[in-house]
Amino acid sequence: MNVRKLTQLAMLTGVALIIFVIELQIPNPFPIPGVKLGLANIITVYAIYRYRAKEVMMIVFCRIFLAAMFSGNMMALVYSFAGSILCLTGMLGLRKIIDMSHIWISSIFGAILHNIGQISIAVLVMGKGILVYFPFLLVSGCFAGAFTGICAQLFIKRKTDDIRYD
Amino acid sequence: MKRKFNRIFLVLSGIFIMILAVSSLVMVLFFPELLSFGTSDNSEATRELFAMDTYITMTAYGRDVETAVSEAADKLTELEQLWSVTEPESEIYAVNHSNGQAVSVSSETEDLLSFALQMAEETKGALEPTIYPVLTAWGFTTEENRVPSDSEITELLKNVGYERVHMEDGSVWLENGIMLDLGAVGKGYAGDLAAQILRDNGITSALLDLGGNIQTIGKKPDGSFWKLGLQDPFSEGTLGILEISNKAVVTSGAYERYFIGEDGKRYGHIIDPVTGYPAENGLASVTVIADEGRLCDALSTSLFVMGADRAMEYWQLHQNFDMILITEDGEIYLTDGIADMFTLDSYHSNMKVNVIEDE
Amino acid sequence: MSKQKILMIICVVVFLLGIAGSILVLLTPHGTQVNIVQDGIVLYTIDLTTAQDQTLEIEYKGRTNIVQIENGRICMLEAECPDQTCVHMEWLDSSAMPIVCLPNHLSIEYAEAEDDVDAVIR
Repeated sequence: MNVRKLTQLAMLTGVALIIFVIELQIPNPFPIPGVKLGLANIITVYAIYRYRAKEVMMIVFCRIFLAAMFSGNMMALVYSFAGSILCLTGMLGLRKIIDMSHIWISSIFGAILHNIGQISIAVLVMGKGILVYFPFLLVSGCFAGAFTGICAQLFIKRKTDDIRYD
Repeated sequence: MKRKFNRIFLVLSGIFIMILAVSSLVMVLFFPELLSFGTSDNSEATRELFAMDTYITMTAYGRDVETAVSEAADKLTELEQLWSVTEPESEIYAVNHSNGQAVSVSSETEDLLSFALQMAEETKGALEPTIYPVLTAWGFTTEENRVPSDSEITELLKNVGYERVHMEDGSVWLENGIMLDLGAVGKGYAGDLAAQILRDNGITSALLDLGGNIQTIGKKPDGSFWKLGLQDPFSEGTLGILEISNKAVVTSGAYERYFIGEDGKRYGHIIDPVTGYPAENGLASVTVIADEGRLCDALSTSLFVMGADRAMEYWQLHQNFDMILITEDGEIYLTDGIADMFTLDSYHSNMKVNVIEDE
Repeated sequence: MSKQKILMIICVVVFLLGIAGSILVLLTPHGTQVNIVQDGIVLYTIDLTTAQDQTLEIEYKGRTNIVQIENGRICMLEAECPDQTCVHMEWLDSSAMPIVCLPNHLSIEYAEAEDDVDAVIR
C-alpha cells in the first residue's frame, strides 16, 4: 500500500468521523434505539464502490472505533461491529451485481443488514422482547439506506475518473 | 419502449405485493375472531373465599353451576374448621390437646391423616406431619421469626416423629409431646374434596385456585387446555406456562415465605425434619403435577426437602406424578410426561431445561 | 429479468413487510401490566392502574437509571448513559415501543397480555 492510498483512506476515515460528529449534534426526531440516518455511511458506500474489500474494512472499522470513543458510548461498539460486519459482507457481494447507477439499492440492503446485525446483538443482550422494534428498523433502514445511497451516488458521479477497484 | 415496459412491470408487482401484504395483515388481525365461535349454553360461576389460611378462587362451568360452587365453598369452610391447628373447635386441636387420650375424628380427618402418615412413610420422613413445634420455634406459624439455638432445635426434634401418631377405628391419639399439623397436605386434600363435589354436581370444567395450589376439572369450556403461569422463584413474575387438563398442580419453594435472620442469611419456611433447619439443597422450587391435589401437596413439600437428586430417584421409583424442579442456579429439570406441556416465556428462554427420562 | 431488478423487488418486499409488521405491532393491544427488565430478567412488574406515583432507581454496573411512575404512566426520568435515547422516548404508550436503554441493558415494556393465563401456580 503506497502513501497516496494510505492518505486517501485516512482522509475518508476523517471525513466520515466529522460527518458522524455533526450528526450527533442534530437531535433525532425518532427516539428509537437503532433508528438514525447514519450519514457517515455515505463514505462507507462510496468506499465500497471505489476501493478493495480490505481497504473498505480498514476505513469502516477505524471509523466505528473512533466514533465510539468520540461519542463516549463504548457500549455501542458491539452493536456497530455486528451491524457493520453483516453490512459490509452483503454490500461487497452486491457490488458485482449492482451497477454504479443503482448504488442506492445496494445501500438499502446494507442498511437492512446493518439493522439485522444490531438487533441480533440486542436480542442476545436484552432478550426477545426487543424484537418488536424490528419492523420499525426495517422501514427506517430502507429510508436511511436509500438516502445515504443516493448521496453516495451523486458523490461518485461528480468524480469523472473511471471506476476501478484498485 | 423496453425501459417503459420494465417500469410498468415494477409498479404492478409493487402494487400486487402491497395488496398481498395488506390482505395477509387483515387475515392475521381477524383470524382470532374467526376461530372463537360462541361456546355452548354453559353458564359460569366464580366464588372467592378465605379458608384454609389462604385465598381461594373457584371458577366452574356447567348447568346448575351456582349450587355446585356453593356446596364446594361450604365444604371448604367446614374442612377448615376440622383441620385448623389454632382453632380450639377443630378436630386437630382436640387431638393435640387431649394429653394422649384417643379422640374420635370425622372420616375426612381420618382419610387425610392416614394419607399423610402413608406419605411420611413413603418419603422416609421427608414429609413430617409432626414438625409443628419446630416450625413454631422458627416463628413461621406466628410471623415472629427468629433463629432458634442448636440445643433448642435438638430438644424440639425429640418430639417429632410420625411413628408416634396412632390411629385406630376412627380415633387418633398422640404420644406425649407430639403435635399434629396437617397443613402440608390439608390444602391439597381440601381441593380434592371440593373438586369431587363439583364433579358430583355434573361440572365438567372448573379451575380451583387455593392460594396458588391449582386443581383443574376437565378442559376449558372451549376445549382448550388450562393455561397456568408458573411462578418464577427469583422474581415477581412468571417463568413459563404449563398447559394441563384434569390435573392438580402444587408448587413449594422457600421463596413463598421466608425471613432474613440477623446474620443476613435467608431462612425459608420449609423445614428439613432431619436437621430441624430450613431445607437448603440447591432447589428454588418444586412443582408437582398429578391427578390428586393431596399427592401434589405432599410431594412438593417432601421433594423440596429431599433435594434434586433424591427427588429424581423418588420419581424413577414411583412415576405416578410429574414434576418441575428449579434449582438455585436457574436450571430447570422436568419429567418427560410434561416436557411438551411446559413452555418458558420469552424472558426466560435462555434458562437451561433438562428433561428427566425414565431409566 | 436482471438480477438488479430482482434485488429491487426484494427491497420493496422488505419495505412493505416492515410497514406491515410495524402496523401489526402498533395495533397489538396491551394490558396495564408493565415489566421492567434488565438483561432479560424481570425486576419489577407494575400494574399502572393501581401503582402509586413513585420513582424507582435501578443500578447497572454503577450507573443509575431513574424510572418515574405518575398518573398511571411510566417513563425513564434520568439515565446515566451517553445516548439518552430512553429519556427522550418519554411516556411508554405502546407495546410496540418499549423504552429501552441499551447501554444499561434496561427496558420498560408492556407485559404480554396476562389475560391468557388462567391462574398462577405459586
